[in-house]
Amino acid sequence: MLEKEILEHGLSFNRRRFLSTMSLGLGSVALGSLLVPSLLNGGDQDGADFTPGIPHFAPKAKRVIYLFQNGAPSQLETFDYKPKLCDMMGLDLPASVRGSQRLTGMTANQATFPLAPSFTNFKQYGQSGAWISDIMPYTSKIVDDICIIRSMYTEAINHDPALTFFQTGSQQGNRPSMGSWLSYGLGNENKNLPDFTVLLSRGIGNGQGVYSKLWSNGFLDSIHQGVQFSKGEDPVLYLRDPEGMDRKERREMLDHLAELNDLSYQEFGDPEISAKVKQYEMAYRMQTAVPEVMDLSKESDDIIKLYGPDCLVPGTFAANCLLARKLSENGVRFVQLYHQGWDQHGNLPFEIQSQAKDTDQASAALITDLKQRGLLDETLVIWGGEFGRTCYSQGKLTIDNYGRDHHPRCFSIWMAGGGIKPGMVYGETDELGYNVQKNPVHVHDFQATVLNQLGLDHEKLVYKHMGRRFRLTDVSGKVVRDIIS
Amino acid sequence: MNSKLRGILEQILLASFFFVGFLLVFEGDLQIPLFLQPIGRLHTLLLHFPIVLLLLAMFMEFFRFHDSFHKNNTYLQFTQWLILAGALSSGLTVIMGIFLAKEPGYGGGDLNWHRWLGVATYIFASLLYWIRSKEWYQSTMAKITSISMSLLLILVGHFGGNLTHGGNFVLEPLMKSQAVPLEEAVVFQNLVQPILEKKCVACHNPDKIKGELLLTDAKSIAKGGKTGPLFVAGKPELSLLIQRAHLSIDDKKHMPPIGKPQLSDDELQLLSWWVKEKASFTKKVVDLASDDSLRILSTKLLASASGPQLEEYDFQEADEKTIQKLSNEYRTIMLFAKDSPALSVNFFNKAQYKAPKLEKLKEIKEQIVTLSLAKMPVQNADLAFVKVFEHLHTLNLNFTDVTEVGLKELAGMKELMVLSLSGTKLKAAGLTSALKAIPNLKKAYVWDAGLSREDISYLQKQLRGIQVVGGFQDDGSNPLKLNPPQVKNPSTIFDEYIVAQLGHPIKGVEIRYTTDGSIPDSAKSPVFAGNLRLNQNTSIRARAFKPGWIGSDEASFDFYRGHFRPDSSVLLTPLNRVHQAAGAKTFFDGRLGSFNANSPAWANNWAGVRNNDLVLVSMFKQAIPLSSVELRIMVETQTGIFPPELVEVWGASVENQWKLLSKFKPVIPKENFPHTLPLIGTKFKASTVKYIKIVVKPLEKIPGWHPAKDKRALFLVDEMFFN
Repeated sequence: MLEKEILEHGLSFNRRRFLSTMSLGLGSVALGSLLVPSLLNGGDQDGADFTPGIPHFAPKAKRVIYLFQNGAPSQLETFDYKPKLCDMMGLDLPASVRGSQRLTGMTANQATFPLAPSFTNFKQYGQSGAWISDIMPYTSKIVDDICIIRSMYTEAINHDPALTFFQTGSQQGNRPSMGSWLSYGLGNENKNLPDFTVLLSRGIGNGQGVYSKLWSNGFLDSIHQGVQFSKGEDPVLYLRDPEGMDRKERREMLDHLAELNDLSYQEFGDPEISAKVKQYEMAYRMQTAVPEVMDLSKESDDIIKLYGPDCLVPGTFAANCLLARKLSENGVRFVQLYHQGWDQHGNLPFEIQSQAKDTDQASAALITDLKQRGLLDETLVIWGGEFGRTCYSQGKLTIDNYGRDHHPRCFSIWMAGGGIKPGMVYGETDELGYNVQKNPVHVHDFQATVLNQLGLDHEKLVYKHMGRRFRLTDVSGKVVRDIIS
Repeated sequence: MNSKLRGILEQILLASFFFVGFLLVFEGDLQIPLFLQPIGRLHTLLLHFPIVLLLLAMFMEFFRFHDSFHKNNTYLQFTQWLILAGALSSGLTVIMGIFLAKEPGYGGGDLNWHRWLGVATYIFASLLYWIRSKEWYQSTMAKITSISMSLLLILVGHFGGNLTHGGNFVLEPLMKSQAVPLEEAVVFQNLVQPILEKKCVACHNPDKIKGELLLTDAKSIAKGGKTGPLFVAGKPELSLLIQRAHLSIDDKKHMPPIGKPQLSDDELQLLSWWVKEKASFTKKVVDLASDDSLRILSTKLLASASGPQLEEYDFQEADEKTIQKLSNEYRTIMLFAKDSPALSVNFFNKAQYKAPKLEKLKEIKEQIVTLSLAKMPVQNADLAFVKVFEHLHTLNLNFTDVTEVGLKELAGMKELMVLSLSGTKLKAAGLTSALKAIPNLKKAYVWDAGLSREDISYLQKQLRGIQVVGGFQDDGSNPLKLNPPQVKNPSTIFDEYIVAQLGHPIKGVEIRYTTDGSIPDSAKSPVFAGNLRLNQNTSIRARAFKPGWIGSDEASFDFYRGHFRPDSSVLLTPLNRVHQAAGAKTFFDGRLGSFNANSPAWANNWAGVRNNDLVLVSMFKQAIPLSSVELRIMVETQTGIFPPELVEVWGASVENQWKLLSKFKPVIPKENFPHTLPLIGTKFKASTVKYIKIVVKPLEKIPGWHPAKDKRALFLVDEMFFN
């Protein structure tokens, strides 16, 4: 009986009917898809939609200054106020809070994890009422210009992978650095200076290495590589003409060399050859542009007082902040600073105060200085390290001394200018400062947001290399819209 | 079976009539017990059933007498069932609604309309159920009843919707408020009130006064509600309005309640800043200081409410070739974005700039929206060319030669919003009128432009609606401490004598120093004049002073005399694996180590031993009269770096005929000894030698007070001096 019905149904259901029914179904899906534009469009896979040097959409920021605090500053002594730790000082971190978090070899064998409150006090500042610790007196004066993100988290637990992850979007290295991606995506602003420059400094705190792989161009064209400006008489190595050669001779030499390189390009077609010619030309122009930018002797007294007297001592963080402003003002797309010494496994109260003293005034000064030149609106400034630090003490906890181990689950950074909401505190951690409780921001989310502020869609800024399409944010990342003004 | 069920349901329907009637009559005295309140709240869920059932039934009823259905019994019966279910469910909904209305916060005109129309629907549906089978009930009748029933349903729904979502919920997106010019905007009226209307008034209006709080007008807002006044002016942290919004979303007292549209961060920020600014109902946005956060946020919110952003342009794209032709190494022309016709132009390199370069840009005059001429020798006269860029919104003239006189050229540039004039020479008087003449200017940067603090506050007062940024000007009230002086000599190790070179990065600093170990002061210690000649080991202590600054911490510089440098040296014993430094050369390479020996040790000039003696043999081609040997070492007891147990100095004038010249035992530090880099050594009667052997025995047992007691200590040395 049933079989017959099925058969009849099959017989009556002919192709024409099937198609007409289908067309109704398809039609309604098509109608619905009008409301979800990304549904049927798998995204721009090849980046065919993208011309290097032209943003996807109107940018809020034109340049970035990244004040990287290498070694991972403790969020608990800077921006993430946790009074609860004072009540629970010395008590063991509850296992339920720690969950399955893996530990470093440095504390994995510790019998207890005694909760360690901050040795320094916090107060609220500005209209936003953000809590800032007493070791950052200058930063507390600019809270209404910055956006503090207290809910950053990352995947790596050791310095090198974490740092590499922040800078290149991958823990393994060999990928282009954020600055290189921006150079690739946005192109030159000032053709007399590199798009991407790097400045290093270190405090007295426990230092962790920074290596040139962090500003590598990876698989992108080598003109996008970061150029390190060092202290001392030759900020850019080998830029000076050798003794006995004047500028005219240099010019002639370069012209002849370009002819030879052109011949070799005709023969081999290697794009690195033309990249090299471009670099020679850039270096020639840099010969006049760099000394002008690096000259700090004309800075006014107000500027010296703003950044602090160390700004005239080459190689200090303050001097690098001042240089960063000058480079940025002159159209360098990405100025990357690294300040080493934030790795306070022990002796934290003493070391972190010294680190803060090195960086606090100059970081705040940079914001004020950009603002008074009308440049803060178009310059994105970022301050932060590669991960956070544990809420419990590494080693012995005493009333005035302790240490903190690496902690990837939560940490604080701040961003300012470049279309980021000023005077905002975003995200929350739990009352022990161990887990993110509200509005988590992953490193890829952060990277997506930075690209977004520069007018780049992180999903469209792709580069095909060895058969795979690569992005700074790999396969994830979401722009943090809440912090964009 | 069917008829039995129907019978029961009809009975219930009839019963419900009485129940509802009773409730309505005695509504004023109703007391809803706690356990029934959840049932009342189910009203909002259940009300969808009668609406759907009855609308469907009315649709069918409308066509009931149509030829195809007229005789169809199933059709008739089905409709009958639908109407029955609809009537029953509407009865239940009415009962629940009556319960819900008893909760605090409901009242007013909308509620009355909703209630009576709801009851009417219920009665109408029930009546229809019974009369539709009568003889006289024919086609026209069916059509009239079905249409009027449907209208009734829509009306009830409408008033109910108003109660939950607030009036105008549906049309709200279309009724964008008229943009308010910044100059006229009042913080309360144009910013605070719209937020309340959007997120709060749905429950706090005269119809539904939840918590006895009305948020519809200034007077009621100032009055507050059941729990007390809404805010303490100037103290957002004590204000109910802000506290409630900050509670955890799960908290029963959190406002707006869970499930309702929440306040955005900006909105919450604005409310709390408004309270902080004394919750004034009349203050205008432009009355706030230009760098006031509330003003900045208000300006932003007003701007975003006033329609399209500056990113949309309606002019033509410039020709790509023209752009290429006009770009060069010193003039960058960039497309704003992929699908935008807007261009931004930056000039670099002062030496390459000539005024006619601006004139050349007239081919793209329409497209230029941002222009940076910072640090170019731009003159007042050149600004006439700038004026032709009609769509310019950001102009950077920092550190140019323009003055307020030239800025008059910019008068009437309608789209210019941001003007940077930092580092120019301006006069406040003329500047005011020049900036006033730019109709839509929003920000002016005038740092370091020859304007005093008073000038800037005068400007800000005159230029309402423009944010005037004066930047940082040191007023001397907060003097900074100088950084210590620095030594400029490439090496502080010398052969016979050295002229010490001390310096300071800041101009006009006075360096005062001592060489006797006392602390230098600003009055008595000698001023460093560049002619300090040293011929023996000297420790200079120096401080920097300058009027308007706090004197620096002291810095000390050790100068070491090492008269005899061996021609060659060889180590007879191995160094520690991580403290190799430069091997035997380490000790005479003129390079001094510093603290932080462990990061990274091999690059920090420290040679070290722990498990064996250090034995160094140095050779001279010519015999020398040796009378003293000194070693610069590190003492960092905390990390187990100690002075050695014993040092022996051997000399020989003929190979391998060693003679002990001197030996000494350095003092082993006590607990809490500071980290130092001291010189240890010995003086003895001059002896003529060609070979010197230094034997250093590291400390074998770390003292008992140390955590690593009885272990071998590390010995580190970076330089040796033979005199």
